[in-house]
Amino acid sequence: MAASILSPHLHITSTPVTLPTRPSVRPKSRVSIRTSSTPHASLSDPFVLQLAETLEDSLPSSSASPPPPPLQKLRDTSSQSLISTPWPSRKDEPFRFTDTSFIKHSQILPISHPPTLSGISTDTQLPNLVIIDGHLVYFSNLSELPDGVYAGSLSSLSSESIMERVSEFVSDFEGDLFWSLNGVGTPDLVLVYVPAGCRVEKPLHLRYYSVESGDVGSEKLPISNPRVLVLVEKGGEIGIIEEYVSEDDNKCYWANSVTEVVIGEGGKVSHSYIQSQSSSAAHIKWTSVRQESTSTYELIEISTGGKLSRHNVHVQQVGPDTVTELSTFHLSVSDQTQDLHSRLVLDYPRGYSRQLHKCIVAHSLGQAVFDGNVKVNRYAQQTDAGQLTRSLLLEPRATVNVKPNLQIIADDVKCSHGAAISDLEENQLFYFQARGIDLETARKALIFSFGAEVIQRMPYPFFRKKVENHIKELLEPKLKGS
Amino acid sequence: MALLLHFSCSPPSPPLSPLPSLRNSPSNSLLFTVPALRPHRFRSFPSLSAQTQNRHSLTATNASLSAVESPVTSPLDGHDGESPPPKLLLQVKDLRAVIAESKQEILKGVNLVVYEGEVHAIMGKNGSGKSTFSKVLVGHPDYEVTGGSIIFKGENLLDMEPEERSLAGLFMSFQSPVEIPGVSNIDFLNMAYNARRRKLGLPELGPIEFYGYISPKLDLVNMKIEFLNRNVNEGFSGGERKRNEILQLAVLGADLAILDEIDSGLDVDALEDVAKAVNGLLTQKNSVLMITHYIRLLKSIKPTYIHIMEDGRIVKTGDITIAKILEKDGYKAISAA
Repeated sequence: MAASILSPHLHITSTPVTLPTRPSVRPKSRVSIRTSSTPHASLSDPFVLQLAETLEDSLPSSSASPPPPPLQKLRDTSSQSLISTPWPSRKDEPFRFTDTSFIKHSQILPISHPPTLSGISTDTQLPNLVIIDGHLVYFSNLSELPDGVYAGSLSSLSSESIMERVSEFVSDFEGDLFWSLNGVGTPDLVLVYVPAGCRVEKPLHLRYYSVESGDVGSEKLPISNPRVLVLVEKGGEIGIIEEYVSEDDNKCYWANSVTEVVIGEGGKVSHSYIQSQSSSAAHIKWTSVRQESTSTYELIEISTGGKLSRHNVHVQQVGPDTVTELSTFHLSVSDQTQDLHSRLVLDYPRGYSRQLHKCIVAHSLGQAVFDGNVKVNRYAQQTDAGQLTRSLLLEPRATVNVKPNLQIIADDVKCSHGAAISDLEENQLFYFQARGIDLETARKALIFSFGAEVIQRMPYPFFRKKVENHIKELLEPKLKGS
Repeated sequence: MALLLHFSCSPPSPPLSPLPSLRNSPSNSLLFTVPALRPHRFRSFPSLSAQTQNRHSLTATNASLSAVESPVTSPLDGHDGESPPPKLLLQVKDLRAVIAESKQEILKGVNLVVYEGEVHAIMGKNGSGKSTFSKVLVGHPDYEVTGGSIIFKGENLLDMEPEERSLAGLFMSFQSPVEIPGVSNIDFLNMAYNARRRKLGLPELGPIEFYGYISPKLDLVNMKIEFLNRNVNEGFSGGERKRNEILQLAVLGADLAILDEIDSGLDVDALEDVAKAVNGLLTQKNSVLMITHYIRLLKSIKPTYIHIMEDGRIVKTGDITIAKILEKDGYKAISAA
């Protein structure tokens, strides 16, 4: 409520500010989209309607068993908002620096057949779920999860009480076009439920694969819409590792993913997100987090894949004394765009937040985008918010667009932010040289160390090593002879 | 010339005796740095004082600590008698240098000669060019050499990249070493050590072998083993930074170690640790060039010579007595002389 009163001061016009109020139009059935020459037409984008329609048609026939109510609700609200959402252009503030026309100009194909598990390695010790083309197709070691924890598809959920809890949170938040497209196109919801007071020792590993794909130059872009809801009740704790895996670096596909996280009072979620998809792929990801009082949310993101990779993070505080830590490392080694749009909304007192964004652009056509918004609203007194972004540009014409922004309305807060864009530090390079280390080795060490600050925060040594090696592999050819 | 000979002929001379002659002959002071005169002089110092002897005996026990068994020096270690004359290590002639950006001249003709086994100290007021001199020696990019020459172990140092100078045996401990987040101390040392091994044609050491090599060195600077896992200089206290520099010296070894204000920001205990470590690393073959403001360091690391720098030149050279005058009467006493 406070947010809506204060919004006139915020000077945000084009961003979809999160407000509890929805447009007055009631959700309609999917039919309304088909007959799109209706009164809404003036706001509608035929391309988007067409795409939504295709996605709906591709869903498995619901005649056998109707979708669970939360999923139906999600589809309805998503359809509804697509009616009035055009495809974003560079004139829209959230997409000012991010060109999505590559997706729009491809032939976007829905994936109707649930894939098979062939050729996917299943050697992990952790409890894990494998999501292929948006479908949950495999899981293992789930017996290691404590009693009462559920990890699986919503359709397979038998507990009515949990289903009710899910209903409370589904489509509670309004994202953008891609958020809604996911809502329309997702075949099912993957649910991770942690009951009150339950601490899950081992992290849950979610592995995402995109198998349906087009070849480079074919313009075919199969779209998958994986959607995950992590619901942690009061005092519960869990670690989630989301890993987007690439099988082949020359394949074109579009992973349009949404993860929602709800953390109850005093709960804690440690979230690792590793994106190393094909460098010809489009990767759009939403992470929406709702934090109740005294809860903790930690996000470590390492994104290196995708031709266009965009991560939208929205963290909404719904109680006091929350802790939020966001750490991101982006790497562009080819003509790729790595984009992070994050927004942290603090409405209650004594929130603590830290955000670190680091990116390396190592290609003259590479680009990194960071828009980091922290909103400290009127009642968020004694907030302690810090934000730092550092970019390293290693090639001439490599581009970075950063927009760190704090919007502070409360008057008793401690906030800091900083932004730095640079080449490697001369005095650091000289320190290496003065100890007999040649420039090339020194440059390499400094470039690796730049990302290490984020990678070192990953809570699982096995993944840390894996990510480090991957980053080294990517950077190695870039550093030869530089 | 005559003065010098007189000086050399009286080893047990009372500390003050050479001094008046130095002070009374300002016009001759520059002569002391003229390289051509040097060969006649060095003979006088091996028996200069009891402290020098001490240093040599320390050397014997610590000789094995020198980093890479350099093929250049190790065969010579065998005949450690009095007979082989010390070799010329560094010869700086009329060195002039400017700040690269502003072209402001800082060094206005520096002359210095260092032989193997000698300890030199350069003192001088703030802004006299002491630190610039040490940075120019190791090839810092902030400075440009506009004239003169530097010969190190018979090679033209000015033709060499900073890393080549390091590999050739020149080491400078930084006055305020830079932080390198994300690079651990042990990885950094490992890289530097392997660069030396490569240069000597020796196989590189992997992390585990290197760990075995380096652990004993930590005692030398009184540091705990966790020190190795911290990022280079990140969050280090002033004392830890200086110790870290000396640890690097201990690991890498050097024929000429330049210690740029190694004593600034150190408490008494830390200074003792650092001085002890440096003394432990000294041999008859390697030399030290200290840059300092304070005589207290010179009490722990005994210099063979003290040079006074003023306005980009070395204006006076002498033994420890110079420092004593400085301490008592300040630089005015030297300049006025």
